[in-house]
Amino acid sequence: MTEPLQMNRRAAIGLIAGSAAALAAPAVRAQNAVAINVHYSMPAIFKPAQDAVLEEFSRRFPNIRATYLNPTPTYEDGAQLVLRGAATGDLPDVSFQGLNRLRLFAERGIAVDLRPLLAREGDPAKLGYSPALLGLGFHGRMQAGLAFATSNPISYYNVDLFRRAGLDPARFPTNWDDAIAAARRIRALGDGIDGMFYRWPGDDWMFSALLYGHGGRMLNDQESDVAFNGPEGLAALTLLDRMVKETGMPNYAGTADLQAFAAGKLGMMFRTTAQVRGIADSVGSNFTLQTTVMPVIDAQKGRLPTGGAGAMIVAKDPAKQAAAWEFVKFATSAVGTSLMVRNTGYVPCNQFAIDDPQYLSEFYRANPLFQAATKQVHLMIPWYAFPGANSVRVTTVMVDHLARIAEQKATPEQVLADMATDVRRLIPRG
Amino acid sequence: MADAAIHRVAATAAVRAPIGEAAAAWLLTAPAIVAFVLMLLVPTIAVCLLALTDFELGVPTFQFVGLDNFAELMRDRNFAIPVRNTAFFVALVAPLSILMGLVLALLIEANPRGRTFFRAAFFLPVVSLMVAMATAWQYLLHPTIGPVNAILRDLGLATPNWLGSSEWALISIGLISIWENAGFNMVLIMAGLTAIPRELYAAAEIDGARSAWARLRLVTWPLLGPTMLFVVLITTIRAIRTFDTVAALTQGGPNKASELIVYTIYREGFTYLRMGYASAMTVVFLAVVLGLMALQTRLIERRTHYG
Repeated sequence: MTEPLQMNRRAAIGLIAGSAAALAAPAVRAQNAVAINVHYSMPAIFKPAQDAVLEEFSRRFPNIRATYLNPTPTYEDGAQLVLRGAATGDLPDVSFQGLNRLRLFAERGIAVDLRPLLAREGDPAKLGYSPALLGLGFHGRMQAGLAFATSNPISYYNVDLFRRAGLDPARFPTNWDDAIAAARRIRALGDGIDGMFYRWPGDDWMFSALLYGHGGRMLNDQESDVAFNGPEGLAALTLLDRMVKETGMPNYAGTADLQAFAAGKLGMMFRTTAQVRGIADSVGSNFTLQTTVMPVIDAQKGRLPTGGAGAMIVAKDPAKQAAAWEFVKFATSAVGTSLMVRNTGYVPCNQFAIDDPQYLSEFYRANPLFQAATKQVHLMIPWYAFPGANSVRVTTVMVDHLARIAEQKATPEQVLADMATDVRRLIPRG
Repeated sequence: MADAAIHRVAATAAVRAPIGEAAAAWLLTAPAIVAFVLMLLVPTIAVCLLALTDFELGVPTFQFVGLDNFAELMRDRNFAIPVRNTAFFVALVAPLSILMGLVLALLIEANPRGRTFFRAAFFLPVVSLMVAMATAWQYLLHPTIGPVNAILRDLGLATPNWLGSSEWALISIGLISIWENAGFNMVLIMAGLTAIPRELYAAAEIDGARSAWARLRLVTWPLLGPTMLFVVLITTIRAIRTFDTVAALTQGGPNKASELIVYTIYREGFTYLRMGYASAMTVVFLAVVLGLMALQTRLIERRTHYG
């Protein structure tokens, strides 16, 4: 729908003069400005947030000219872009990467250690960086990045199906026994309706939620051997096995789970809060969607993994590095993180924005679906990134083994033993 | 400028024909040669060299490791499974999509009514973007809300988890590939059919080939030979290099049940970042494909060219 464009000569001259002035203005300012290139991934989720951050940043720091490179569609593409750039010498100055990939850049000497830059600022707590938040970007003995947008797994459920199955939607199961029982009742409605789907495929993130939930960890403290093959790991796999056995949980490929849920044929879904907006859009007015915290496994030791993106500095030139640091600091400040939350629904990454109601309380009142994740912030620990060259491969190996449980081709005990053997071969020998 | 150069070459060619002609020939083929060297030859050589290193994306240094990558390949279960899957896949997709293409072409040729419509309808998968089509297939084959399983349920038949179970995932990808390739083959075969002189059918009829089947066997099939050679080659290649449906629909899962070789190479190089090892896979892949092509061409060519 384009309106016919009509212009007289004077208007045209005015327009040309105006745009020339507009073009000239930043050029004058840029005389002593530092220019930095910033790269991020997943524009479908992050573009509005990044645009808002950049606009505010440019207003506050007129002598730093930050520009976004063409965003890459996924975290994986984003990692490839920077790794390729490292080989050809064509690197951005700041890059937003998946939190579990920061380690890879730390180990390959691409990410700049932020500790000296942080030290110059004094107490990190004064900037709103709590030790837990800093921990999300601490990898390979260095501060490889700062968390920019974080997520954790939450429960999504179909309120209408809960009612039809005679369950109280206001009292969502708080433990897995009840969740499984609820799933059975929803499935009993028939008509192709399934009770629940726990999103184990794709990567190890949701499995780590079950493992951390029992208080387990992937590797031991020295990272010399696997640690998931103990009772916690077995309990995690047994729980997955029960979901399949007792609720008939289907093995959905790709995004089939989201389609079934949006069609009103799935009672509960357990997956990242990052998709709240997308899922709410796809559900529309088909039924009432509700979100809440994950069922609790171990009230004391239980933790949840943190997904999302972190900002890392790649620039080696001191002037660019200083400018890049200002940008990263702003993006992760209380103001920056509030802009991010309002435009994405991710969890804030600055303690001030979390504690001080002036930043986000209004947003959460207006968008209750986003609240579930914020209620679990105290449980969040880093998404474990495996050491060494096989960092990403390990996660695929784990998912492949989980598929054997989802298809009921092996018992949890067998899978745990095989998984331990395979992962052991892929981690560096300490 | 290029024009001027050609004119100059043409002018000198008039004086000293042999050298000038050769120069003109080189000049005219130069763009193709440059493109071939830059786009195909150099990258292929680069891949062969990388296959002998432990190059990893993002690691500044790499070492020459000789044939270590190839030795590792021979022992790698993660390579053996996709090789087996790909062999099964080609054996399923190539014959069925050629057969379907042939049947469709013959049916459409036999009946002029609606020819344009059917030709367009069956050719549609070829011109449409496979990733977009994959999304449609994901919905059609959805285990609970998909129309395919809804029909099967109404008929009282079993409803497989087409893309989510290791029994069916590879077969489902194969069925989608057959659907995609059949239309392509149909168009190629139809082109071959129109090239058969009509008089031959008339002559065969006079000579006693009364039934349509006899004419098909005695005239159509032998004269379609060269076309079929091309169709067999191109379908095999297209099946071997299937990537997009796997990447979009199953990501090789569950537990590598639907992982095909090109997807494995992609994961190895770009997800696991082991470029050297991925290059070794590519070299093996390339050698096998070229060998297969040479074999097919030699076997079939013997029976298709009449001269």
